[in-house]
Amino acid sequence: MAALSRHPWCVATALLVPLLTLAAPAWLRLGGVPPAWAVLWLLPWALCEGPRSGALAGAALGLLLDSLHPASASLLPGLVLLGWWWGRLARRATPVRGTLVLGLLALVGTLTLELSLVLQWLLRGWWRSAAVMVSPESPSGGAAVLDPGVHPGPLALSGWHGIDLLGAGLHLLLAQTLLTALLAPMLCSLQLLLWRQLGAGSRG
Amino acid sequence: MPAARWLRRATAASAPRAPLWLLVMVLVLLGIRFSRGALLADAYALLSRPFWPGTAQSEWLRSARRLEDQARLSQLELENGRLRGLLGLQAASGEGRVSAPVISREPGGWWQRLMLGAGSLQGIATGQAVLAPGGLIGRVSSVTPTTATVTLLTDPVSRVGVWVGRNQRQGLLSGIGTDRPLLRFLEKDPQVRPGDVVLTSPASTLVPPNLPVGVIQAVNDSADPAPEAIVQLAAPVGAVDWVQVLLR
Repeated sequence: MAALSRHPWCVATALLVPLLTLAAPAWLRLGGVPPAWAVLWLLPWALCEGPRSGALAGAALGLLLDSLHPASASLLPGLVLLGWWWGRLARRATPVRGTLVLGLLALVGTLTLELSLVLQWLLRGWWRSAAVMVSPESPSGGAAVLDPGVHPGPLALSGWHGIDLLGAGLHLLLAQTLLTALLAPMLCSLQLLLWRQLGAGSRG
Repeated sequence: MPAARWLRRATAASAPRAPLWLLVMVLVLLGIRFSRGALLADAYALLSRPFWPGTAQSEWLRSARRLEDQARLSQLELENGRLRGLLGLQAASGEGRVSAPVISREPGGWWQRLMLGAGSLQGIATGQAVLAPGGLIGRVSSVTPTTATVTLLTDPVSRVGVWVGRNQRQGLLSGIGTDRPLLRFLEKDPQVRPGDVVLTSPASTLVPPNLPVGVIQAVNDSADPAPEAIVQLAAPVGAVDWVQVLLR
């Protein structure tokens, strides 16, 4: 369709995603975890605009959100993939309308996004621990400083470790997925309605 | 001459006792002399106590003592800073502090951070320690002219050198994504127990020494490769609205 891209204020609504991520209203959290605002914006956008615009919007959102976080893991690959996939769904004969379907798409999307982060942290942790083991005298590793001491190298490796991902990470993943899937039928269906009307209007 | 008769009679009656009184007097005087007037001084203090000066002057003396202590403390801090500089360690706290409001908090996500409403224009720089009422909560990870992002101690990226105040056992405080970070000791037998206070380590090159961090809540002695402890942070990270950034 690519009709919404002609409305600058529609594109500007994407700025709400980093703003809401920063504001993180306390009353809209589940177990202290906020929803994935990027998923809630990207899903209706990609369903209206198609795979190419969806992937581009995913990349733009990924860059915006990554700028708020350190470079330890990126949301960009997950969001590009989701934008492209949801855009492909829009090409089907029957357009996605049902609120339940929107909720399910948001659930799978959030899960995919979170798992892409988990995968990056696992790979990063594995790579860095391998580097410390190979070079125990490296500055991050260093030799044992105390006697009887413990090799501080593996302890100093920062970031999500496998055991932490199984504990706090799993709680975070489930809470964010559930909250986003619960909010999606309400928020995404409103956005879909508004944007489809705008798209039809601009074509007409 | 009745008076002369009386005098003669009196002198004759007291003559046998005179050497005894004389001896006592001489001993007392010698005692006073060799005790350097101790008896006299104590007697004087006892008698003059009601007339001693009031508390005003003693308060003035205490205030002078405080001033002296402060001057000595700043000298010691200067000396300590110079020695820590020679050792390449982080400077001790006590330099300037900037108060900053918390304008965004993300304590429950993959990245556990706060955003402050003060930045490089106020002198904040990357790496500076951030304190809340109670103790250390994190370090500045990035700055803009008007904002600063703080990586909390609970973030899995955070690693801070700490020690236990009671027995000076060193460890590494690591965020694990929960409200309570994990203290991983660098010794096999750290001999710590729940309730021990955790402070930043003087050996740390990242944060100033001896800032309060939290209290050990539980100890896992069987952890591999060394014992671990769950630390309850002293500062309420989720509720804090204003923080202080220690400027270097």
